[in-house]
Amino acid sequence: MTVPLHPIPAAGGPVIPNFGGASNCVVQNHQFCMSWFTHNFNTVFKPALIAHIELTLIAVGCGMVIAFAAAIFAYKQNWFETPFSLLSAFLYTIPSLALFELLVQVTGINRFTAEIGLVSYTLLILFRNTLTGLQGVPTAVIEAAQAMGYTPRQTLIRVEIPLATPAIMAGVRIATVTTISLATVAAYIGAGGLGTLIFDAIQSGFKTEFVAAGVLAIALAIIADILLVLVQRAITPWSRHRLQTF
Amino acid sequence: MVNRLISITHGDITIDGKSIRSLGLTELRRGIGYVFQQIGLFPHMTVESNIGSVPRLLGWSKTRIHDRARELLELVGLDPDGDLKRYPGEFSGGQQQRIGVARAMAADPQIMLMDEPFGAIDPIARDRLQNDFLRLHRQVRKTVIFVTHDIDEALKMGDKIAIMRDGHLVQLATADELLASPADEFVARFVGEDRGLKRLRVRSCSDLELDPPAPGDLPLVSSDTSLHTALSSMLAEGLTQINVSGEDGQPVGSVHFDAIARLVAPTDGSGSAQVPPAAESGTR
Repeated sequence: MTVPLHPIPAAGGPVIPNFGGASNCVVQNHQFCMSWFTHNFNTVFKPALIAHIELTLIAVGCGMVIAFAAAIFAYKQNWFETPFSLLSAFLYTIPSLALFELLVQVTGINRFTAEIGLVSYTLLILFRNTLTGLQGVPTAVIEAAQAMGYTPRQTLIRVEIPLATPAIMAGVRIATVTTISLATVAAYIGAGGLGTLIFDAIQSGFKTEFVAAGVLAIALAIIADILLVLVQRAITPWSRHRLQTF
Repeated sequence: MVNRLISITHGDITIDGKSIRSLGLTELRRGIGYVFQQIGLFPHMTVESNIGSVPRLLGWSKTRIHDRARELLELVGLDPDGDLKRYPGEFSGGQQQRIGVARAMAADPQIMLMDEPFGAIDPIARDRLQNDFLRLHRQVRKTVIFVTHDIDEALKMGDKIAIMRDGHLVQLATADELLASPADEFVARFVGEDRGLKRLRVRSCSDLELDPPAPGDLPLVSSDTSLHTALSSMLAEGLTQINVSGEDGQPVGSVHFDAIARLVAPTDGSGSAQVPPAAESGTR
């Protein structure tokens, strides 16, 4: 199957709207036209932004489920760590465009294909951070849990996973920011989202759309990161107090 | 090994006549309080949740756990009002080990294992913890197995002391017996060349047959004062005799230097301090 050289046109209407009222700014294609942006926010940018957030949430969510399960398994079965590390590192090294192109040949041009690609890029970071977090739980704490009669499962759920949470959350932050950025590339194979607008703007040369979509993607990444920091603080209130170790 | 963190390869351990092999692993461990050098508090749980660890496993109600945590925190000398909701990382090493002791006692186990509990704590805090724990122990009366490398700690804490060497039991005796008649050269070296003096630490004035109170303005010590302290007072004052007071603070007798010397003299044979063997202290 051949792959189109340029992306599928976005669902969000013509790139430079040609209805009579186009302002001077738009006609002269200035760097950024605020009035056009605000006028078209609800129709063009908002749907793209929402699609982008969905794309990211699904990718990080699925990535987390897979990486978390793999990390727990590797934590209990040491042999599993190396093969899964190698696999996820290998996936991570494939250039994103090349990976998307490859996947299109299997699953076609659609969002599902894009998600497969995005998920595979989150695996390395999420797996490594989760496993490192689990392995970093102090042995004294685990010994105390065992000595008090915690079963291995209780130790895992009540002690080891909570204590690995800061490391896991650090991984989620990196994976989320990376995915938001990478998802713009995934628009190339029809993922939708802000990337579609960027590809359109590159084609048409309309600067305002290009700048607006780019800045929105950056803003989304920053806001997501801040939100995740707040979540982490809320669920690990203890981590601000460093435990003295002997 | 008692709580089977290390499995038994040979022989057996029984509690109240029941082999620990016959008990379920979690059941056995939930019934034994465990305190060890690294403390191992759960950094992600409040002090209350830490103390409530075993009770939670045993299915206690929230209010019961809360009340028990308050009670224990007070018992180990921390502040139940301010400290219950704080996290372990906010406390010093000595305070953390107090919480560790409270956690170990939470479900009121009959046996407590203490594996060098105060080993990583600075000497001043350690001394205070030892004294507090001795006081606590008199209140709660539990069987405590206390492992230490520090012979002075063993002599201070233990009702009975087991000395281990290369995995073998060399001697099992009270502190006084150990100091008076070490089983062999190794034990003698281990308890120290000043064992005569050390013996005075584990005996109090009331262990001696007191002479009648001496007239005059002699220093007065209470009858539960160790002979070590009494002797020290004598030396400091340049005296050979010191008066001992009863509970009302009035002199009930006196201790003479010669009496102390007779006690320590080898011909006196082994001492006979009768302390109930509620706690054992092992040294390895």
